[in-house]
Amino acid sequence: MVCIRKATVDDLLAMQACNLFCLPENYQMKYYLYHILSWPQLLYVAEDYNGRIVGYVLAKMEEETSECHGHITSLAVLRTHRKLGLATKLMTAAQNAMEQVFGAEYVSLHVRKSNRAAFNLYTETLGYKIHDVEAKYYADGEDAYDMRKQLKGKQ
Amino acid sequence: MGASLPPKEANLFKLIVKSYETKQYKKGLKAADAILKKFPDHGETLSMKGLTLNCMDRKSEAYELVRQGLKNDLKSHVCWHVFGLLYRSDREYREAIKCYRNALKIDPDNIEILRDLSLLQAQMRDLSGFVETRQQLLTLKPNHRMNWIGFSVAHHLNSNASKAVEILEAYEGTLEDDYPPENERCEHGEMLLYKISLLEECGLLESALEELRKKESKIVDKLEYKEQEVSLLVKLGRLEEGEVLYQALLSMNPDNYRYYEGLQKCVGLYSVNGQYSPDEIDRLDSLYKSLGQQYKWSSAVKRIPLDFLQGDKFRAAADNYIRPLLTKGVPSLFSDLSSLYNHPGKADILEQLILELEHSIRPAGQYPGRVEKEPPSTLMWTLFLLAQHYDRRGQYEVALSKIDEAIEHTPTVIDLYSVKSRILKHAGDFAAAAAFADEARCMDLADRYVNSECVKRMLQADQVALAEKTAVLFTKDGDQHNNLHDMQCMYELASGESYFRQGDLGRALKKFLAVEKHYADITEDQFDFHSYCLRKMTLRTYVEMLKFQDRLHSHVYFEKAAAGAIRCYIKLHDSPPKSTTEEDDEMSKLLPSQKKKMRQKQRKAEARAKKEAEEKNEELNAGGASKSGKRHVKPVDPDPHGEKLLQVEDPLSEATKYLKLLQKNSPDSLETHLLAFECYTRRNKILLALQAVKRLLKLDAEHPDSHRCLIKLFHKVGSMNAPVTDGEKLIWSVLEAERSTISQLHEKSLVEANNAFLENHKDSLMHKAAFAEILSILDLNRKSEAVKLVEESTNNFVPSNGALGPIREWTLKDCIAVHKLLGTILHDQDAALRWKSRCAEYFPYSTYFEGSCSSVSPNSVYSQLSKNSEHESSNHSTGSQNAGPIKSNGKLDAFKDLTI
Repeated sequence: MVCIRKATVDDLLAMQACNLFCLPENYQMKYYLYHILSWPQLLYVAEDYNGRIVGYVLAKMEEETSECHGHITSLAVLRTHRKLGLATKLMTAAQNAMEQVFGAEYVSLHVRKSNRAAFNLYTETLGYKIHDVEAKYYADGEDAYDMRKQLKGKQ
Repeated sequence: MGASLPPKEANLFKLIVKSYETKQYKKGLKAADAILKKFPDHGETLSMKGLTLNCMDRKSEAYELVRQGLKNDLKSHVCWHVFGLLYRSDREYREAIKCYRNALKIDPDNIEILRDLSLLQAQMRDLSGFVETRQQLLTLKPNHRMNWIGFSVAHHLNSNASKAVEILEAYEGTLEDDYPPENERCEHGEMLLYKISLLEECGLLESALEELRKKESKIVDKLEYKEQEVSLLVKLGRLEEGEVLYQALLSMNPDNYRYYEGLQKCVGLYSVNGQYSPDEIDRLDSLYKSLGQQYKWSSAVKRIPLDFLQGDKFRAAADNYIRPLLTKGVPSLFSDLSSLYNHPGKADILEQLILELEHSIRPAGQYPGRVEKEPPSTLMWTLFLLAQHYDRRGQYEVALSKIDEAIEHTPTVIDLYSVKSRILKHAGDFAAAAAFADEARCMDLADRYVNSECVKRMLQADQVALAEKTAVLFTKDGDQHNNLHDMQCMYELASGESYFRQGDLGRALKKFLAVEKHYADITEDQFDFHSYCLRKMTLRTYVEMLKFQDRLHSHVYFEKAAAGAIRCYIKLHDSPPKSTTEEDDEMSKLLPSQKKKMRQKQRKAEARAKKEAEEKNEELNAGGASKSGKRHVKPVDPDPHGEKLLQVEDPLSEATKYLKLLQKNSPDSLETHLLAFECYTRRNKILLALQAVKRLLKLDAEHPDSHRCLIKLFHKVGSMNAPVTDGEKLIWSVLEAERSTISQLHEKSLVEANNAFLENHKDSLMHKAAFAEILSILDLNRKSEAVKLVEESTNNFVPSNGALGPIREWTLKDCIAVHKLLGTILHDQDAALRWKSRCAEYFPYSTYFEGSCSSVSPNSVYSQLSKNSEHESSNHSTGSQNAGPIKSNGKLDAFKDLTI
């Protein structure tokens, strides 16, 4: 029903539109460009049968720290396209690329404490664990869970 | 730098430069002032002080100092370089290039200036200049990897891919065999993939494949390796190897449609238009059956066959496909199937199929031919699917009855309200659509998707203020400023269009131009990547990005915004600003005392707004300056309602600016050339208007608008005075020559051409309307004939074996256009009224035609809406979406007993 493929530069405007439509955390186009021009392997989109972008994952490598690891910057799936397992497929694709191309040890992400649906996806389906809590991480003052998942079968 | 200064000051000068680079502007400023105390005329110091001030948002001082500095030391490359940097910061790239060039005349081998120049050349796509500068850089510093890569990329961009390959190979020749070290493996792999893609671009497919395989161990990105390999194999016609590789790719990602397409190509079963012979269909069928065995979890493998299967096989496959998705409750099922509605006959099959499911589930709770009980939700999702099906077919009444039944079945599912809202929008009741979208929003205040959808509907219903209040619930940043206008193209476009509909051209323009600004910013965004990507080695993506930027303005949001702005300017030209006309109209209705009061009130409000804006600006400047001189908050908008935009002297020349962008970037859109026609006829640029007409004819000669423009143009020409000057005579001779090449006008008068057009499109309402409009223009006496002709049109049934209710041909949009034609172009108010009441029957939900079921009709179940919307702003919850009880806009009560 929905095609999962690597994003191209031509997808970025649609990814930004998708992000603005569903999520409260938004980014300038330059930030999307920065991602795709740094780690073109780590951006994936879900494209529906009519060619519309209905979900994406935007991810990066943290290069400053000693332990090489990936980070999920943003993940979104349109509300109309839930129950298709798109988030899982997108995440899996990005995680595989982090491991295979960049040799990432683990992957991290932030999630709102109140976002139960996302939290469940990360813990139950994708195997993430709470690493830390970051107080007032979000602009509106909400805390974030700092979550991590080991790659390379080291879990 | 700073050479002419004594040692102490020379050190201070170095400190200015360092402070500038590390963004410690205050420190730099201090050092500059210390030098200037002793040497007040020192050019380079003045320049650097100016550059520093520029970063502290003191623009005018900055320019003054930099100019002064240059004047005092014209022979300094530093002063020229600084002047270039200043221009660059203001995006004046052409001027900046000139300055750099002057600096290089003085110091030709200055690496820093050469590098800066090369960035500007890449940005401006001065490609031959770019090649030259990169060559110079490589010559000066051949031991830098970046200079090799830069030279190669420059040649590639300048359409010389084979030279680019040569350079990369020469670069590889400088490397040791065991290159790369561990920490550069990714970059090196990217470089190799870039080189291989260059070979592919040159058509050297064999060498590309050979090189790819030779370097396999050095290419880190294995997925990209495989994709590149398969692309080359297919191009080389080595399809069997390609097939194997596509199978391998599918086993890695069985949800990538492109792999299926590739596989089909390799086994000779691919057609661009999706048409296959019966034999091919059988083979495709068995291919996908076997793929289905391998990739049980792939949904693609189940969905794709619905495209090529026909008749009973299609029906059986669709049945198999739909059932589990209804049981699971997948909300996107309809959108997934919707492309099948363009295949002849499939919509009817789907209708029968889904109705059968409904008829079996409703009484028995199970699918036909099954014994297992379905969960209760299956009926609801079936009704949900049916509602969208009937919506798509234009049978809004049935669609609404299905969705209402679903809502009654399970009132807590948000998607149902969203779909009801969409159906009402299609049926022509925007207010009711907005109300249901708002209801959906209130059911989950933490979900931005339902919020965004609601905002969209509110804007469609021209409730702009309410829409804004709703949208900002999700656009607060840390300081509680809303950043609604950052990045929000969709919002700005839709509100611009709403303001335009409401005749508020100032605000409309404001929004449209804001979208244009976003696109200008994106163009600007590429700047930093010209150097970044050469270091990062993401060269394939970099080149892709440059191409994306080159066609950025063909993106649909930009196209719409530019078209919107042009339409505003045309309207502004046709009826100049309100201060003289419209406002007086409104005012004339008031008593003199009321008028005076209102004027006073307006003046006061304006003064207050101005003062507030100024105060806020000062506050921000002061606060921002403390943080290392960098301002973080945008200044307050001095023209929030776009009033200044309305005072433009020549609206049509403004329009032409955007028109040129459309002509360059959206040449295949009818809209572009329609707008060009409108602009150029108003500016009496007959030949340019003719060019627009020719484009229209080329794109779609049978389109009603193409016909309108063609005849209008030559009618205008016919009514002009005979040519006098040489220039005019030349234009006439061109027009005459061109006229004879236009087949529609060949040996025909305009009246005959118009008749012929009608003859060819007798059954189409919109073509008839175009004919009638032209008829009345060509001969004012035949206006009543034109009206009669339109009124005599019949709204026939569409031939279909749909199981429920007949479908008529005319669309709401077309009928509204015809109503406007009758009322405002043919000026026949009686006919317009007759048309309106007739269309109210066809479109009972349309608020435009005041249909009996629409929210503007007193008899409608939605009628409560219009009353409530008067209070909407006061009832609206503006607090945080997480706080307090769920609050709707006070319309819920109106829908409690709402069933059709």
